[in-house]
Amino acid sequence: MSLPEAAVTAELRQILAEVTGRPELAGLPGQAGLFTEAGLDSLGGALLLRQVRRRYGVDVAAEDLNLDALQTLDTLAAFICEHQDGPAG
Amino acid sequence: MAPERRSAYSRSPSGDPGNTQASPPAGTKPVKCVIWDIDNTLISGVYLESPDDPPPADPELAAVLRELAGRGILHALASRNPPEAADYVRRATGAQFAAAECGWGSKAAAIGRIAAGLGIGTDAIAFVDDDMLERAEVSAALPEVLVLTPEDAAEAPQWPGFSPPVITAEARRRGELYAAMQRRQAEAAAFGGSREEFLRRVGTRIAIAPAAAGDLPRLHELAVRTHQLNSAAQPLTLAEFGGLLKSAAHVVATAALADDFADDGTVGAAVLERNGPGQWLAPAVMVSCRALGRGVLDALLAWLCRTAARGGASALAVPCLVTERNLPMRLALAAAGMRAEPGAVAADGRALFRRDLGGDLPGLPEWVSAWEGPA
Repeated sequence: MSLPEAAVTAELRQILAEVTGRPELAGLPGQAGLFTEAGLDSLGGALLLRQVRRRYGVDVAAEDLNLDALQTLDTLAAFICEHQDGPAG
Repeated sequence: MAPERRSAYSRSPSGDPGNTQASPPAGTKPVKCVIWDIDNTLISGVYLESPDDPPPADPELAAVLRELAGRGILHALASRNPPEAADYVRRATGAQFAAAECGWGSKAAAIGRIAAGLGIGTDAIAFVDDDMLERAEVSAALPEVLVLTPEDAAEAPQWPGFSPPVITAEARRRGELYAAMQRRQAEAAAFGGSREEFLRRVGTRIAIAPAAAGDLPRLHELAVRTHQLNSAAQPLTLAEFGGLLKSAAHVVATAALADDFADDGTVGAAVLERNGPGQWLAPAVMVSCRALGRGVLDALLAWLCRTAARGGASALAVPCLVTERNLPMRLALAAAGMRAEPGAVAADGRALFRRDLGGDLPGLPEWVSAWEGPA
């Protein structure tokens, strides 16, 4: 049973604030650009995706060559929900 | 006891009849970090038996510490002792330790944490302990680690794995630079703002400059040693770099990094291949993992885009190996607006990430001083 997308977005916000050490990112809008507006860098992105893999079992790095899922928190949540129940048939 | 020593010998160049010297033919694979036990290894006794007046450093191994550090090999501690023991060993040996794990847990786990923290594979680690059981535990859990007795370690400077072919200025200072890295990370953890604000606050300076013949050993070292921030499938050889420096069709740039904590020297490099008004190629982009999170890769990618655009290129392409290990490289490519055709990973494991050079190009922060590129 997977979580609804909005709940995943809310959790991702907390994870993002933790891995970057920036509590203010816990209030980042779901549509804000992670690289462009939140100032996420390659180290922060790698830490975020590591936590995503631990928490949801979704390996974004392996399944998304261009890492488009990392555009915003909403796109990341959508990607997680789409891939969470294992690889589609 | 033969079984204890087997791990040290297992790396010997077996089957090579030319290599039958009397000394242990162990450790041909390059060792990047030696993790040391403290009691009856680096000190001549047991720390906790007299913590107020601990035993002195073992003079032979203290000399080995200095010799290996001078070759760019890192040292770390893994000890069943309180953290004060590590401080004491630092003073007693005068050595820099890039990491110290003091506690009562498994040493194999401690080695794993040290390797992860330093961004080094466990296959590039040597572990020295006088205790047979500790050595056995580490050998069983991490067979790729070179496990040594203190007696083995005393001879290690003569072994090939401890003798890097080139020792650059950066390598000689590696222990010092990792110690600065720990202080920087502690300050970053306590800092509230964005990473960019932190980089500005600690006086980060990045200089991108044309590579010269004197940079060749360091270029080769970066090509061989970097993995997390390296686009290439195969490291360029010294001869290949030499050829690129002479080639009119290629531009080779180095990136040097410094801040208020340390002068890291040359930490990155990129090769750019000119192609008139068409799509230019960057066949190699690499940055030392020590510089991860300090803006060097982003600066190099922005510089590549801007230099190619200034030279009249319509697009820039970076062939990049797609692995789990170099994910930070792919993240930086994405942040620089570069994309690959989905599913287009070639047989050699690389995908071609590209972007057009019209419109807004990735910017360079004011602390980056960038070579304008060839005329």
